[in-house]
Order: sequence, then C-alpha cells, then structure tokens
Amino acid sequence: MNYVGVVLLSHSYDLVKGLEALLKQIQPDVPLSVAGGTESGEIGTDVFQIKKAIESVMNPKGVVILFDLGSALINAELAIEMLGNNKDIRLADAPLVEGAYAAIIQSGCGSSIEEVIKAAEGAKALNKL
Amino acid sequence: MEVGIVEVKLWLQKLNRKLQQEKEHLTDLDQAIGDGDHGLNMARGFKEVSIKIENTDYETLGALLKDTGMTLLTKVGGASGPLYGTAFLKAATSIGDKSSVTLTDLSEALEAALEGIKARGKANLLDKTMIDVWEPVIHYMKENRESIDWDEVIRLSNEKMEATKELEARKGRAAYLGKRSIGHIDPGAASSNYFFVELADVLKGVIKE
Amino acid sequence: MMEQEITVTIKDGLHARPAADLVKKLGTVSSAVQLYSGQKEYNPKSIISLMSGTIKEGETIRVVVTGSDEEETMAWLNDFFAGKTS
Repeated sequence: MNYVGVVLLSHSYDLVKGLEALLKQIQPDVPLSVAGGTESGEIGTDVFQIKKAIESVMNPKGVVILFDLGSALINAELAIEMLGNNKDIRLADAPLVEGAYAAIIQSGCGSSIEEVIKAAEGAKALNKL
Repeated sequence: MEVGIVEVKLWLQKLNRKLQQEKEHLTDLDQAIGDGDHGLNMARGFKEVSIKIENTDYETLGALLKDTGMTLLTKVGGASGPLYGTAFLKAATSIGDKSSVTLTDLSEALEAALEGIKARGKANLLDKTMIDVWEPVIHYMKENRESIDWDEVIRLSNEKMEATKELEARKGRAAYLGKRSIGHIDPGAASSNYFFVELADVLKGVIKE
Repeated sequence: MMEQEITVTIKDGLHARPAADLVKKLGTVSSAVQLYSGQKEYNPKSIISLMSGTIKEGETIRVVVTGSDEEETMAWLNDFFAGKTS
C-alpha cells in the first residue's frame, strides 16, 4: 500500500529529528523525512536539503510538507520549483507539531493527499484545553 | 560601455568586504525588527562566494552569476539566502553565455533578478523590504540605458534605504511588529544598498580608466 | 442506531498510538460513530477531533454507532476500548 509521504521542515535539525522519532513511534509505515538547519549545522534552512528530503519520500500518492516559519516557506517553495512544480508536492498551512501528528495518522489510513492536508490544517483550529 | 567578468568579480569581492565590515551594523538593524541573523547570514554567504569565485576561471558571466546564486542558496540560512540566491540565478539566466554586457543588458538582468525576488518573497514596493531599494534603482538604470550616472545610483539607493525607516513592515519577521517596525531601516534594504553602492563604485572606476 | 456505555481499559488511555489505530480502523467502516466523554463529543474518524481532548484509562464513555455495519463496528469498539485489538 502507498501512503502520502510527509516532510518535516524546520530551522532546527534537532527539532525535526525529535518530532520524527515521536511520529515514527506512532506510525512507522508512512514515508517520513526531515530537513532542518543549514549545511554547516547552524540554525536555518537549506533548499538542497529540503529537495533531497522531498525526493526521499516521493511516491504516487504525493508528498505533504510541514514547516515552521519564514525562510522555511521560501526555501520549500524554491525546492518545489526545482522539482518542476510537481502538483503532488504540497505545503500544509499548519502548526508543525500538531499538524505533522494529524498528517501522519491520516496518511497512515491510506488517505489521499487532500485528506492528509485537511487533517494537518485542521490542527490550526485545535483547542487543546 | 561593457561590463565583463573582471568587473563583476571585483564588484562581488568588494561587496563581500563591505558585508564583512558591516556585519555588526546589519545585525543591529535586524535585531531591532527581525531575528538578528541578517548580518551573519550575508557575511557567511558572501565569504563563501568570494572564495568560490576567486579560485574559479569563468568563460561567461552567466556561469559566474550562477555559481554566486547557488553558493548563496546553500550557505545562507535565513530568508536572504533564497532571495539573493534567486536574484543571482535569474540574472545569470538573463545574461546567459555572454562574457560581457552593455549597461542596458545589465539593467535588464537586474530587472529579471528583481522579478525573481518579488515572486519568491511575495512582496511589493513599500512593504519595507529590499524591494524598496531594488525597484527605484533599477527603474532609474533602465531609463538611462547607456548613460547611467553612478553617483545618482548611489544617492538614490541611499535615499530609498533611509526611506524604509518610515514604512510599516508588511512582510517577513518584521511584519509581526506592525507599527513598531516604523523608525528602523529595513536590514534587507540596507544590504541591498551595499549591493548597488558597490556596483556603482566599481563601474564608476571602469569609466575613468 | 446502537448506543452503549463502554469503560476504557486501554493501558494509559487513548494516547497517540491507539488514537491512530482507531482513526485508521473507523476509516474503513461506513457507520457514523460518536463518542461522548463528560461534556465532550468526539468524532473518532477525525484525528483532529480526538486530539482536542483526552480519554483516560478507567473512564466510561458513551458510544453511538449508526449505519449498516453498526453491529460489527460496536463489537470492534468494545474490543478496542478493552485494549484487545492489535
């Protein structure tokens, strides 16, 4: 079975590595990759690292990218452009932790890319208390 | 007048020196309204550019500008990496295989770079960004074709950078501050000012020779 | 429509992993399912709905299942909340 791939993107490598470990425990079947920090290991984002992360989980059902802030978005858009503006690579407008959690579970249900994005973006309206 | 590989290399080396000198100043500006990394990011990125181009012989301006853009994309962590990187890549495509260009060609390449920045950053004039320097300077350069007065470029670039002080940020981290961003020069406009002032300095020198 | 009170005996309650299993399983059934825990209502086919609260071990919840496969679904839910599935 194919699952929608998920990419976690942050200015911090440690942050996405930690989130990856959490999500792998919940749903080990979904293709999941991370990109965080610059080439030299500093805080920031690196377009080539993002491109590689997308390629590593690319599959026929598509890939959803969750990101933190600012330049992460600019670099993610640039990476998508470098991959030929493939319509199956999509950005989710969602909080990184809760959105990724929802996305990974939705993807694990075998859902379509639209449903995975909807689940991730649903996390924006989440009341935790 | 023609602008060749020697002039562009000289410009990029001078720009690098300027960014190393002004690293603290850019950081101060960015600490006021951004996340405080602009000076470090630009200094790091252009230092790598400087090393890369110093040790490479280029046949075409396109290849030189492309290397510059790719280096900035990889080595600059913040938003300035993809923005300046895209600018150089668009300019490289515009100039292509030529080893020297007229001022009109140069202005067109810079205009393509500006369009790239606008598309990538989804920003427009008066959003308090680097575009507030780029757009008026390139407009002036395009209008004056082969008879650009480089002192006027320097004057205009400085004036437009200073003018960002009065604007309210609508893009980037500074936009979170809203009206509190007023009273500070935009750090991207400041680094863009160095970009054009160093270019003008080099090309002024070329005319004199 | 079937309605039943079920006491949750999943160890540590409905935390992330069982919640994922629940959403996944219910995605394959056609009945509508609602869970009521105190004042809160959950749609257990939506992970976001489940993330909006916590269902603890030892808690009794009201389960309402409506649809053509309600009997099998209710039976599965009984096993699930007893921690007997997967």
